[in-house]
Amino acid sequence: MKFRLGVFMVAGLLLPVTQAFAHHSFAAEYDEKKVIVLKGVVTKFEWTNPHVRFYVDVKDENGNVTNWDLELMSPNTLTRAGWSRHALQVGDQVTVTAYMAKDGSHRGNARGNVTLANGKQIFAGNPERGEIK
Amino acid sequence: MGQPCLGFALLFMLFLQAHAAEAQTPTEAPKPAPRLPSGAPDLSGVWMGGGGIAARNLKPGDTIQLLPEAQKVMNARQSKDDPEANCLPGGVPRMNPYPWRMIQTPTHKPETHIFILFEGNIHSYRQIFMDGKHPDDLDPTWYGHSIGKWEGDTLVVDTIGYNDKFWFDFDGHPHTEKLHTIERFRRTDLSTLSWDVTIDDPGAYAKPFTVQTKARLEADWELMEYICQENNTNILHIQGPARVR
Repeated sequence: MKFRLGVFMVAGLLLPVTQAFAHHSFAAEYDEKKVIVLKGVVTKFEWTNPHVRFYVDVKDENGNVTNWDLELMSPNTLTRAGWSRHALQVGDQVTVTAYMAKDGSHRGNARGNVTLANGKQIFAGNPERGEIK
Repeated sequence: MGQPCLGFALLFMLFLQAHAAEAQTPTEAPKPAPRLPSGAPDLSGVWMGGGGIAARNLKPGDTIQLLPEAQKVMNARQSKDDPEANCLPGGVPRMNPYPWRMIQTPTHKPETHIFILFEGNIHSYRQIFMDGKHPDDLDPTWYGHSIGKWEGDTLVVDTIGYNDKFWFDFDGHPHTEKLHTIERFRRTDLSTLSWDVTIDDPGAYAKPFTVQTKARLEADWELMEYICQENNTNILHIQGPARVR
């Protein structure tokens, strides 16, 4: 199995950041211009407030494994968007697009689709509420 | 490999956003606002949105004009200190992306209270006294002391007694304990609650200003639990001035 790690800059295409996306300022924690695509294995899924989190072991091309902490919306918002606490399982292989933390930690804000190995896609936001970026 | 994936994701998001916008286009006349058996407006229900002091919602001609001292306070604010990021109340009229429920108390007697239950930040409530006056010597609080009255079909809520701790927004717009808000709630149709808020704080702003906002009825929703304090690891990673541009 191959795991790939890609970091690249995005400009111009991003939808406007909505200020009301969470209980804290997005721009104070994440860099909307620094997007990462992570492919790896779920090691933990925390169905918690104020944000649901899942952790993914990602192996780079040299075989080094990094555990990423990925943030989603809150349980209430995700439930209304069709998620549940069973949506991800430890051991699931996932591909995630995320905005990287500004402080350099291995932490990201997941957006777009979380894609499972079987091709199933789970949207990481609530499009009807304008909370997607 | 990553860029095509992102491109697809962005296109997908754009499609969804366009679809969502299309879905919101009204196709039939809105249903009229309901009334209580007494004939009074019925504002009850689960609502989403409204509130905030975004410049785009300012009443035409109004401006948010900070006094110099308040400007200094705002300039010095750091995002990590935002009470909302620390799971403290948002105060008035700050809102969040979670629904809230308006509850009236109509009985055989004139109503005594209207309650607003907030799902989000922070699973709290406001109480509006429909039969009272402001006490003379209020302890400053996050939601202040609210008294309400009906002006025709509009619920007018007058609030004083605020503390100066909450921020109006992520940018850190400040206020003082002199803050006085006047809110006007009016259900203009079944699904729309017009919510205008006048901010009058001679301690922080050169003149009052009014924001005009709307909340949307979520008829099929119930409030859910949201306990911000549960696992707020964000606060360890938030950095920089409140006004991030």
